[in-house]
Amino acid sequence: MYIWNNPSEFLIITPESASSLSGGSDRPFDFVVSIDYNITMDIFSLTKSKTRRKILEQFLSRPDQDYYLHQLKRKLSVSVGNIRRELIALTKIGLFQSYRKGRLVYYKINQQSVLFNTLKTFMKKTTIDMSENIVQKGFSWVTKSSPFQTSPDLYCQTRDVFQVRLQTFSQHLEQKLGIVAYLVTALAGEIGNNSFDHNLGQWPDIPGIFFAHDDNQKIIVLADRGQGILKTIRNVIPQVSADRHALKIAFTQVISGRFAEKRGNGLKFVTQVLKDKKWRLRFDSGKASLEIFPNQKMKIIEKKSVIKGCIAVLEY
Amino acid sequence: MIIKLYKFGDLLISRPAGREAYLSAKAYLFTKTPQIIEFDFEQVKVLTPSWIDEFITLLKKEYPQVKIEFHKSNNPTVISSLKVISSSS
Repeated sequence: MYIWNNPSEFLIITPESASSLSGGSDRPFDFVVSIDYNITMDIFSLTKSKTRRKILEQFLSRPDQDYYLHQLKRKLSVSVGNIRRELIALTKIGLFQSYRKGRLVYYKINQQSVLFNTLKTFMKKTTIDMSENIVQKGFSWVTKSSPFQTSPDLYCQTRDVFQVRLQTFSQHLEQKLGIVAYLVTALAGEIGNNSFDHNLGQWPDIPGIFFAHDDNQKIIVLADRGQGILKTIRNVIPQVSADRHALKIAFTQVISGRFAEKRGNGLKFVTQVLKDKKWRLRFDSGKASLEIFPNQKMKIIEKKSVIKGCIAVLEY
Repeated sequence: MIIKLYKFGDLLISRPAGREAYLSAKAYLFTKTPQIIEFDFEQVKVLTPSWIDEFITLLKKEYPQVKIEFHKSNNPTVISSLKVISSSS
């Protein structure tokens, strides 16, 4: 049985029809991904459903590990019903196998399946594309002269929305990284909440923040179209005139941009955790771009392009 | 008095949430002027310096005589947050 990807639908071809198609069809055979199974799916359909994608990521990251349904429910935060439905479909096409042990039905990914290696490569590639995409989307959102609607999934208009998304992200990440997820959440929380703290009631055009993450590539992007670090720092040190100086002060001195309030240690906390964990951060505001490298070095440069507000890209 | 912070949630992140927690503690927990306040971080997953700073700043402002103690914790966010706020205070 043969299959290829048709952009609008997925097609199952019997061996009989395949022979006629291979001779007469003008459709490209580059897309053939499986010739082994009685029932099959194309690779794009395989990764289209969110639940299926989560299941595949889980099994592909640890292909020797078998799981029963409730284990997957806990790891993926998806209902047992949805997981069962997907696994039954994936077992039918031969990508998964199941077996019973006591009262539990375990599922394992079939590493002998033709789809296994293809999927592994495909998932890796799309994940990288997605990471590049969220960084690109974030930069695009903060550099355009007028605001545009970004995907609703990536936009938190209020702090409450951000808090809920951060909580979901944290729970998901905890299953993958354990206690380290708490530090990642704390950093994202500090950076994201900083945007609200310093811009509430004063957003120049669009309120709220951009928040996107790719937990496979371990990247978080947070951005706002707020007043930027320079204007915030000038509230307390009016003589600061350059974005790069403001950025340095924000990351190295305990000083609050909210005059008369004793605060301003959020970014110092970020710096300290980055140093301890050897993580990497890029933080741009106005014309300045700061980078903190895993070797703990900090670099600040001035660019030609201007960021409206701030953008942070954290690699953990 | 021991304040079990998990009762305010397991993700203690933003300043407004820290302020809200303090106001609630003041209304319902501080039935008389507290002398010693012990913070217990058991079951807290994420603490940020912003959250705890907001709570403590208000506490110190309204009860200048209060003695604040922190229970030991293995949580890295608690350790880092306390390190940052203690070095800045």
